[in-house]
Amino acid sequence: MMRHTKRHVKDQSLLGIVSLVSLFGILILILIFGYVFKNGAALVSWDLLTNDYYAEVYNSYYDGSLNDTEYVRPNNLSNDAYFSSRWGVAFTDDIDQEGHAVIRIVYVDPDSPLTRLLDKNTEGQTVVITAEQLLDKVIFTGNVILYSMDGAEKAAIKFDAATGIRDMLTSTEGKGIRGSIITTFLLIIMTLFIAIPFGVFTAVYLHEFAPKKSKLVFTFRRLIEMLSGMPSIIFGLLGAAVFIPFTTVFTSADGGNLISGALTLSVIVLPTIISSTEEALTVVPDEFRLASLALGANKTQTTFKVVLRGAIPGILTGTLLAIGRIIGESAALIYAVGTAIKDEIILTERSTSLAVHIWSIMSGEVPNFELASAISLIILAVVLILSLIVKIIARKYAIDPSMRG
Amino acid sequence: MMQINKGRKHRTRSEMKQLIDRLTYAGLFIPALISASIVLFIVFFIAKQGVSPFLPSQYGALSVDIVSFFTGMIWFQTPNVYGIFFIVINTVYIVILASLIAIPIAVVSALFIVKIAPKQIGLVLSTAVELLSAVPSIVFGVFGLGVITGWITDIATFFGTQTAGGISTAATVLVLAMMIFPTICIMSITAIKSVDINLEKNSLALGASRMQTYFKITLSAAKSGIFAGIILGIGRAFGEATAVSMVAGNAGSGPTFDLFTTTRTLTSTMLLGLKETVGLDYDIRFSVGIVLIGIIILTNLILNYAKKQVGRYA
Amino acid sequence: MPIPYVFDIENLNLFYGDKMALKNINLQIRKNEVTAFIGPSGCGKSTLLRCLNRMNDLIDGCRTEGKIRYAGNNIDDRDFDVIDLRTIVGMVFQKANPFPMSIYDNVAYGPRCQGVKDKHILEGIVKKALTEAALYDEVKDRLRESATSLSGGQQQRLCIARAIAMSPQVILMDEPTSALDPIATAKIEELIKELKKEYTIIIVTHNMQQAARISDRTAFFLLGELVEFAETETLFSHPKNPKTEDYITGRFG
Repeated sequence: MMRHTKRHVKDQSLLGIVSLVSLFGILILILIFGYVFKNGAALVSWDLLTNDYYAEVYNSYYDGSLNDTEYVRPNNLSNDAYFSSRWGVAFTDDIDQEGHAVIRIVYVDPDSPLTRLLDKNTEGQTVVITAEQLLDKVIFTGNVILYSMDGAEKAAIKFDAATGIRDMLTSTEGKGIRGSIITTFLLIIMTLFIAIPFGVFTAVYLHEFAPKKSKLVFTFRRLIEMLSGMPSIIFGLLGAAVFIPFTTVFTSADGGNLISGALTLSVIVLPTIISSTEEALTVVPDEFRLASLALGANKTQTTFKVVLRGAIPGILTGTLLAIGRIIGESAALIYAVGTAIKDEIILTERSTSLAVHIWSIMSGEVPNFELASAISLIILAVVLILSLIVKIIARKYAIDPSMRG
Repeated sequence: MMQINKGRKHRTRSEMKQLIDRLTYAGLFIPALISASIVLFIVFFIAKQGVSPFLPSQYGALSVDIVSFFTGMIWFQTPNVYGIFFIVINTVYIVILASLIAIPIAVVSALFIVKIAPKQIGLVLSTAVELLSAVPSIVFGVFGLGVITGWITDIATFFGTQTAGGISTAATVLVLAMMIFPTICIMSITAIKSVDINLEKNSLALGASRMQTYFKITLSAAKSGIFAGIILGIGRAFGEATAVSMVAGNAGSGPTFDLFTTTRTLTSTMLLGLKETVGLDYDIRFSVGIVLIGIIILTNLILNYAKKQVGRYA
Repeated sequence: MPIPYVFDIENLNLFYGDKMALKNINLQIRKNEVTAFIGPSGCGKSTLLRCLNRMNDLIDGCRTEGKIRYAGNNIDDRDFDVIDLRTIVGMVFQKANPFPMSIYDNVAYGPRCQGVKDKHILEGIVKKALTEAALYDEVKDRLRESATSLSGGQQQRLCIARAIAMSPQVILMDEPTSALDPIATAKIEELIKELKKEYTIIIVTHNMQQAARISDRTAFFLLGELVEFAETETLFSHPKNPKTEDYITGRFG
């Protein structure tokens, strides 16, 4: 009765196939992360997070004569900054979003003539050169030209040698996502502000106050359950059909805006909050309720002072899950807010969240994969950290995190 | 005399408390009512806006004929030719293909994670799957456009066909399969974990091998949970908009069965080419939304019926 | 003429990790007899039973020393085909666990796993097994119904039929009636008396009276050791070991 090799081989090979197939899941995760990281990591920088999206170009010249002021190089300037004492300006070499070499202006003396340049395109308008602008091209008097590829050191030298500026091109760096970060932040706060009270109160009603066997409550639960099964684009339609008109009536909005977006998102995360809260309420032992009532408290006091306090971990879990959902949501916001990337964020106007920002730049003529990957990286990092925190809380308080609603 | 006063005071306080409870009940009832009614609002308002393209009273001569809407095979904005039938076929076709890929991989992976893998590896894998389910669809879209379209182009060249930069049915199917895989896998893991281990012992004692036991007994015992996961996954597949729109293309006619050609789904129709926020082209997307909701409900009913049949021997 | 021993256990020690659960067991099981293992909880009787079809392999950290021979072959050899062993040595568990399938499929499961596909053969096997398990008449009209619709006693007989369908030589029974009512228990005890004509049966029971009723030979275990092994009548009426006597007379349980 020795081992039947044929059966044994068949068994082992099946085992092997099963094992290989199962590594599929982790493979995809690694691929996605790897791609996003490889493509976008280079771009992730403080500048990316704080810059405007739209680049401004300034075309200016200097009208006037230079006096003989010698500007002093400030002490806190780093060693790789090159200073022109004649004009009171310092430059460094840097690389822009696309990887090209640029000259970055890092310091402008408050008294420098560069603060009093005139706009070449608009009569009488002054142009103030500030730090963090990029120096694109300068034509000095005497037809000396400075290009951005000359580098910072040459720039300082040429400025020192120049007595006047005929044409100067500077620009601010664009492609920043500050606007979208602020928008995402605002959306999160407004949505939670609406959805958490709504969701918690609904859950408290269903779990604590509602009569147990009533048909009405059963219907309520079924309807809310249906809500959680709807694809998010449908909620986008709801936002467009209801919340946008609603906000245009009551505010100065004239189309998609952040408020309609927040209302739409509230509807999307509502089932999650309700479900997490109900789950947490179930975990609170009945003895608490009975003890409180026996001490003469009424149901309201019992619920809000005792039961709800014990449900806080669950509500927190639901909140974190909701935040993850909000950050990742795209289709609904495309309908309920719009796809216009903005630098200045106004509640009653359109703007993009981080996810919609990606959509916007990917649906243009030339999709910017690097920027999209960079933003994806940021979104993934935040969402993943949130997921891990949820897991930790759930483990600590013995909640089942798969009840997401 | 004091005792009577005391009694009255006590009664009023208790009455106050009950009154507060009643107010609280009313106060909580309202958000609950609103939460429950949202679904109804959705159906009503989307229906309202989605029906308007068919009403001559709204759009006069431009209004869309409802019959050709449901049976048409062409979708163009100008001239106003809107036919949704081929889009429905495309969507169902793509969802079926994606499910055929995702379901076996998800179920087998779940089996591996729960029963075969050593505890640590199982934990790593299941965490990976959970993280995958938290990835937003836009990121899948970026990955799809950046990587998967490249694969499809390579495969197409291998077979000697052309693709539009990889934008194709195949890319859509793969992206969808990746997105619904975690959903099905996680629910299957839960279902397999709850299978009574004595069933497996009985099977082994009868002379079945480990693999035979897992495939014939364990999976069979877990089938209703696995099926629930499949239903959830398919629902997600139908409703997925962003990632699909990025890799599907926007074919004007169809249906498209060729894997290497561009296609169009219900959700991509709703999301792509969104220029105006008023007008016929805008409203017709709501009509598509109605059809989408209808198909999801129908699919759910069919699958839930199938689930009952499958669970007959439980 | 040599007495046909089905199992020959020689100097068997068993460890769960560091804990020794079976000490120096020497035991021979004879063909076509019912052998009962009795003893208080935790004495190792179920553990020994599980050695005989190597179900202990499933328990982490379990290892054995010594020899267990089936029909002359060392079954604890690494190269010995465990699956083959289990087709010859069947097992019925304490709690009846019918698979979530039809009655027919439950009984046909074992043969199917071994590759039997022919419908006629399977039908014949199922019918024979159910008949031998004294269940056929009760279920013959509902073979395609779910097995979970049967009563507790019927389910246990189904499990016996399931094991019989493999045409084993030996049937191991681990407290098969402890979850059943007296009537169902009686039915199964009747069944066992019939079955021993064709099979060798080893039954673990915590019910001494049951052992006295149905077994030919009884082994008494205590704290992992085999205290006494004799013909049932002898063991119960004239136990040689005082510990045996104490257990039988109920001085400890």
